[in-house]
Amino acid sequence: MNPKPILLAAEGLNKSFDGYKAIHELNFYLDEGELRTVIGPNGAGKTTFLDLITGRTKPDTGTLAWDDSKHDLLRLNEYEIYRLGIGRKFQTPTVYTDHTVMENLILSLAGSRGIFHCLFGKTSSNQLDRIESILETIKLTSHAHRKAGTLAHGQKQWLEIGMLLAQDARLLLVDEPAAGMTDEETHRTGELLLSLAGKHTIVVIEHDMTFVRQISQGRKVTVLHQGQVLCEGPVEKVQNDERVIEVYLGRKSKAA
Amino acid sequence: MWLIPLTHTHAATPSEIIASAIVEQSTSKQRDLVISLKGNPAPEVVILLEKWKAGEIFLYQDPEGNQIPVYLTGKASGDGTLATSRVSTGAALISPDGNPVRLDPSAEEFVDTSSGLRRAMKEVSDLAAFANPDFKKRLRAIEDSAIGQNPEKIPSLETLRSTEKNPLVLRAIDQAIAIINLKSNDPKLRTEACKKLGELNSIAAMDPLKTLAAQSAKSSDRITEKAALGAMNRIESHISTINIFGTLFRGLSLGSVLLVVAIGLAITFGLMGIINMAHGEFIAIGAYTTYLMQHFLGAGLDLSPFGKSLSIPGLHLASASNSYFVFALPASFLVAALFGILLEWSVIRFLYRRPLESLLATWGISMVLQQLLRLIFGSNNVQVTSPNWLSGNWTINDVLFGWNRVFVIAFAAIIILMTWLVLNKTSLGLMIRAAMQNRNMAACMGIRTEHVNTMTFAFGCGLAGLAGAFLSQIGNVGPSLGQNYIVDAFMTVVVGGVGNLMGTVISALGIGLADQSLQQILRNPVIGKIVVLACIILFLQWRPAGLFVARSRSLD
Amino acid sequence: MNASPLSARIHNGILAISAFIILVVFPTLNAMGIIEDFTLNLWGKYLCYGILAVSIDLLWGYTGLLCLGQALFFSLGGYMMGMHLMLMIGKLGQYKSALPDFMVFLGHSTLPTFWVPFQSFPFAFSMIFLIPGLMALVFGYLAFRSRIKGVYFSILTQALTYGASLMFFRNDMLMGGNNGFTDFRTLLGANLRIASTQRLLYISTAILLIIVVMLCKWLTRSRFGLVQRAIRDSENRVLFSGYSTANFKLFIFVVSAVIAALAGALYVPQVGIINPSEMTPEKSLEAVVWVALGGRGSLVGPVLGAISVNALKSWATREYPDLWLLFLGTSFVLVVMFMPTGMIGLPSQLQALAKRMKRKSTEP
Repeated sequence: MNPKPILLAAEGLNKSFDGYKAIHELNFYLDEGELRTVIGPNGAGKTTFLDLITGRTKPDTGTLAWDDSKHDLLRLNEYEIYRLGIGRKFQTPTVYTDHTVMENLILSLAGSRGIFHCLFGKTSSNQLDRIESILETIKLTSHAHRKAGTLAHGQKQWLEIGMLLAQDARLLLVDEPAAGMTDEETHRTGELLLSLAGKHTIVVIEHDMTFVRQISQGRKVTVLHQGQVLCEGPVEKVQNDERVIEVYLGRKSKAA
Repeated sequence: MWLIPLTHTHAATPSEIIASAIVEQSTSKQRDLVISLKGNPAPEVVILLEKWKAGEIFLYQDPEGNQIPVYLTGKASGDGTLATSRVSTGAALISPDGNPVRLDPSAEEFVDTSSGLRRAMKEVSDLAAFANPDFKKRLRAIEDSAIGQNPEKIPSLETLRSTEKNPLVLRAIDQAIAIINLKSNDPKLRTEACKKLGELNSIAAMDPLKTLAAQSAKSSDRITEKAALGAMNRIESHISTINIFGTLFRGLSLGSVLLVVAIGLAITFGLMGIINMAHGEFIAIGAYTTYLMQHFLGAGLDLSPFGKSLSIPGLHLASASNSYFVFALPASFLVAALFGILLEWSVIRFLYRRPLESLLATWGISMVLQQLLRLIFGSNNVQVTSPNWLSGNWTINDVLFGWNRVFVIAFAAIIILMTWLVLNKTSLGLMIRAAMQNRNMAACMGIRTEHVNTMTFAFGCGLAGLAGAFLSQIGNVGPSLGQNYIVDAFMTVVVGGVGNLMGTVISALGIGLADQSLQQILRNPVIGKIVVLACIILFLQWRPAGLFVARSRSLD
Repeated sequence: MNASPLSARIHNGILAISAFIILVVFPTLNAMGIIEDFTLNLWGKYLCYGILAVSIDLLWGYTGLLCLGQALFFSLGGYMMGMHLMLMIGKLGQYKSALPDFMVFLGHSTLPTFWVPFQSFPFAFSMIFLIPGLMALVFGYLAFRSRIKGVYFSILTQALTYGASLMFFRNDMLMGGNNGFTDFRTLLGANLRIASTQRLLYISTAILLIIVVMLCKWLTRSRFGLVQRAIRDSENRVLFSGYSTANFKLFIFVVSAVIAALAGALYVPQVGIINPSEMTPEKSLEAVVWVALGGRGSLVGPVLGAISVNALKSWATREYPDLWLLFLGTSFVLVVMFMPTGMIGLPSQLQALAKRMKRKSTEP
């Protein structure tokens, strides 16, 4: 018997672009409260997989069930999926460049997203407090009224993570959070993700193996290759898997 | 009789025979003489008989007592007299004193005709028309002969049938006889005629058949009524078949017009993502270039741009009016392409990443170009002569194929073939496709993308210029020529799907066919057009990216 | 929000003074005979165009939707008002018939059913909202549902306007065909041909303009405005922030259609005519020019643009009829290319330029 409910279940997913199979017969199960790291070489289908979950693209075949099969994600569009509590940080930081940091967070706050609410709703003091604390967490308090477009690359990454926090999602899909960050920033990002691990279910896609080791800490790591799950398990086991070494880690560790 | 010696020396001419008939005393001999002219193809037969019948023939008595038949020519002089000509030769009549003879028609008595004689004359003149060597005129005469359903015409039609070779004329004879027979008193003849007309798919017989059906229904002549209705059904289904083919053909040609005006846009908008609202003005530039070429090769042209006068000398080529179009085609392509290069270099290259701005800026350009054309060539339409042959047509099995429409379709096919060849078989085409698929990659591979952009844009504008040369042949040329086509052109490209020539071809033909079919069904061109626009909007619900989608994984 | 409180206060002060001049000073001077009736009437027309320009800016400047159908909504509003005005002519028309003249001319003897309720002003007034609003709702629903955006949206709205104008050009549409509606006499019992009625119409237009600007100001300052601008800058991202962009766009599209229609409804009794040539895509583009020249993404810019371009046009088409279009077209191209914020943004653009020059000259 499974002690925790399965939050996300993907079965037999297929997606091809003009004959190129980006995702091929993919099966993937995620338990509530997990922090899962997904690794894989370029073109393994990691980002496409996130696209499928968040509704940006629809698979050719397969199923995607949410919350113990209560919802069929394939029948929902992007914003409906978001409203189920699935938040995403994009690979390249995507924030609203013409809005201030504060406004970016306000736009991401949990709560109604209806037109009426947006017209007449006021941002409550509770919400303002929450934004305050998020700003502190992502170290942008002093930049609250700057336009997000003027932030440095790493700060944009943090802002986008902050937007995920403001959303208070059940599942956070984090695509390469450490890209373009200094070692120190990377480490702090790892700590932030670890601190969230109990409260949220998190899927992290990453290339940086140091970072992967830091956040996985005995947790399950999934290796994707050619749109399929190549192997799953703790990072140590994965690292020693021959197939993984062959397609990915082997090259990577040699380079390192 | 003075005539008799003549007939002995040589065979009498038709005019001489008529002259002798006029002076003949016995009506039966008169009739025989007239009937003897039956089947004679000489045109004067009909002319003289018509004059006779209309009371325009007079008898002049010369001093020797001879009766000379004459008709009057020229204008009446002050005393009301007119000059006279001999019926027998057409020569002027000279009196013995050497002066031409003049007669006052109101003072003289014209030569009368009896009803029997007139019938004979009619028979002769009908047959004369049937004997016309031009088969089109012959056909016309036969078709006309059925009007009035006069059974007296049947013998001459029968005579003609025995000698006629042309199948179209033979068919017309059968049709005419059958239509006349619809009025016959013999029920058997009537039903046979109905059957025949049904077999012939005779559209001309529809009205007489309708009348017959109504009459026989009134007189409860069931058999004739049934035969008439049966024939009508057959003919009606034939008519709807013709309409379908006609609609298809017109749709195809409208689609071809759309294709020609949209193909340049498919390049600039589809491949480059530039919304060129001045596309219509490039079409106009092409049309005006054609206009200039026509006058440059011909007699020259005086213009008054900006109020100053400017004379363009002409080459006065004799064959200019037929051949200028051949020179105008490359000229209009080049002129429009040059303007395209200028526009790309001065405006468009700043707006590659801002499609909405490119839309607005090019609209400003379109405003300026239109006004410039107006200031140079005047705001009225100018005359571009199209070759005579464009106004001809073929009729195949009652379906009309206008040559202008055939020209339209052929032109579109050639343009598409050319564009396809340029894009797929030349190094420019290879570079264009490479740069459009991945600009950065192409740049890395050493392709000068700015250069390619300019050339692509110029190519698209040149195609618009060709469209202008083409439109000048089938419609008016004025400063706002392009405005009439711009919405349709954009619709065509949007429906076809961006970045795909094949999509544009299919969508142009599809819109053309839909437009013409809806016009046929709704019997109203404007409503048809509006329904097409509505259909396009609904179509985009189903395929938001158009018929052919260029799939890509990149964001936005 | 970036503006310092002082400059914001100056900004608001200028706005309040302009509003006062337009709303109070002009009509008063007119009543005193200092401003000619003709001039005030002309300004009433400009203000209507100003409202139309704001409606375009709400879509284009704030939401990124370049709609080429605003002239359609404007004329639809005008036509709804025009239908009522036509029926108010009564038997004073050329044919001395209770029917509008063009119907008598076309050989009709009874009023078509859909015309009958327009005898009531409240009905006509509600139709000014309903017809353009419904049209925008249906078209917008279809367009936004299938995620038609950017230039595709522009091209489709252009086609919509084109199709509608073809429709209204037809006589059997029973909307006056080519010639449209004209020869109006009274509105709500007031004679439209006397100065005092026209002055009242002018004041109504000024009030509507001020209300519309304030409404839009409030709208764009709310969280709705945040979402609106987010859609403009990065529509796909907004979907992943959980907002149904289609609904937001549909809402703003309908609101702006109704605003344009109200402007059209006030335009018709002041200008005295409405015909299908007001409905063409070119008219929409012309209004877009005002917005671009005045400065999109601000609320005062479009009004400024509409008034100044039209004032200039009235003068230049008289003095330099041939060159006017060349001048307008060229300046429009230049503004689109080099002045994305239009006249209203010119000071800050010049400031930035000066700063850069200074930096360059101080650097070795």
